[in-house]
Amino acid sequence: MTVAITASEGGMPHNKALAIGLIGAIICLYLTYVNAYLPQPLFSFFGGLAAVLALWWGTDTVKHLCSYGLGTGVPSAGMIALGSGVIAMLLGSKLSAMGFISTPLIIPIGTVIIAAILGIIIGFISDKIVNMNIPVLMVSLAELCMVGAIIIMGLTAMATGSFVFADLVSGSTTFFGIVMLDTTSSYLGGCVIAVVFMLGALGVQHAFNACLGPNESQDRTLMLAAECGFLSMITVSIISFAFVSFLSAILSFIISVIGWVYTYRKYFELSKRDAFMWLDAKPIREKEA
Amino acid sequence: MSALGGGSGGGEGMTPVGIVVGIILLIAALAAMYVISPGFAFTSLVLVIVGGLLIGFGVHFVPVGGAPAAMGQSPGIATGVTMLAAGAGLAGLFGGAWAAELGFGVALAGGAIGGGLMMAVTCLMVNVVYVWGMGVPAASGKVAKDPITGDTFEAYKSQGTEGHGLPFISYVGGVIGGCLGGLGGTLIYVELLGVYEEFLPISMGASAEAVLPIAVGIAGIIAVGMFLVNAVIAAYNITGTIEGPHDPKFKRFPRAIMGCAVASAICGLLAIIMAVM
Repeated sequence: MTVAITASEGGMPHNKALAIGLIGAIICLYLTYVNAYLPQPLFSFFGGLAAVLALWWGTDTVKHLCSYGLGTGVPSAGMIALGSGVIAMLLGSKLSAMGFISTPLIIPIGTVIIAAILGIIIGFISDKIVNMNIPVLMVSLAELCMVGAIIIMGLTAMATGSFVFADLVSGSTTFFGIVMLDTTSSYLGGCVIAVVFMLGALGVQHAFNACLGPNESQDRTLMLAAECGFLSMITVSIISFAFVSFLSAILSFIISVIGWVYTYRKYFELSKRDAFMWLDAKPIREKEA
Repeated sequence: MSALGGGSGGGEGMTPVGIVVGIILLIAALAAMYVISPGFAFTSLVLVIVGGLLIGFGVHFVPVGGAPAAMGQSPGIATGVTMLAAGAGLAGLFGGAWAAELGFGVALAGGAIGGGLMMAVTCLMVNVVYVWGMGVPAASGKVAKDPITGDTFEAYKSQGTEGHGLPFISYVGGVIGGCLGGLGGTLIYVELLGVYEEFLPISMGASAEAVLPIAVGIAGIIAVGMFLVNAVIAAYNITGTIEGPHDPKFKRFPRAIMGCAVASAICGLLAIIMAVM
């Protein structure tokens, strides 16, 4: 059995971060469904907020997991999280079309449950078959798989205004004024999901990888995670111009920029707090003759 | 080498519980697939599992040095297993996906050659950087003689290091690993593409031409996802650095094979259910 090396003392307990992240993200995902009752998909940005909450929680999970000697570095956690998450999310988005339950309201919670089961199996494989023998591995990989699925589903909902499979595959192009059905211009047909996949994978692995070291502190790491999340949101809000109405995309864009500026400034403050000394660098002046 | 400098560990061999539960999960996934849709979808799942095995086995050939390699203290490429495997495998996957229209054999060959070529170029540039940039000769610390060329390493190995550079055997191992990874990734992609082209028009009620872009998109992203899952499981098995097929750690590959088989079976089952149901 490997020994845990605590990255930083104190801070918020991991279970609290898990609860806030999971419940908050699911609520935000359900709020995007309000789009179905609005004339425009104005509530799309809640999908991005779900992704930010999931990233925030996932970073704490990565920190929790990587305090054990994995031997593979931190980025592998982000890769396995999104790799398994994308499969759970795609299956989850089709749940309402499978004939068991026809309401799309099953999708967010169903995706989380599928991801949890898939994550537990992958965690079991890593812990018992590959014999890593790390006590938190199974739970952490289950959490990371859920995080990956929620990030992709949230950013998908932000880009397209919906998380239902039928909406993700329908696209249209206007040809000489006639609207034609064209799946190539849909979210999945255009493979925009690949961009979302990489945005999520980089976001979930980056924050702890960047902050780890002798002076790592939890609030600073998690603030960087939120900042990465809002930065991904800005990119996705620009992508969303192609799929949702102009007003909704502008609203998403403004909210992401406000969130990013706020978290960036906060992160800057926390970095100053944790630094040994802060010198405001000035340009080197020429000596006057 | 762990991120926090902690000892990387894990026991040797496989636990009996792990083997039994793994075999049960594997059979359960295959049985579930057979019940839901015997025939084409079932064959595809079997081939997806074979693809996962090829990835898991291939990753063990890739010489990974991690951070110590960047300081010239161990042989291999100076990055993590997952990154290297993803680079080699995805290069192959894209090569194979491009050739998918030209037939099964050409697609697989394209994938294998793409992955192998990517690793060959990477290994070449790594040795250029080591020899001309850092001034170190290629020498392995794990074996005394190169199994292929018969060159001896002892006289060239710096004191206090585990070797440095990329010996010939590691180079060959890297190319073999890239070929196997690209082959496995392409096999998964081609099989999933076949399943989606077959079943999505029925479940979506659309024409085959309309479904093609969606089938390509979903098969591509799921192949990437499954590739990363298999590569990370193999990376967990390696824990840190590996020099190539001559490294003692290479002997651990059976448990990664077992792990990748189960993971591919479950992921493949979910991916195929999505289209079939």
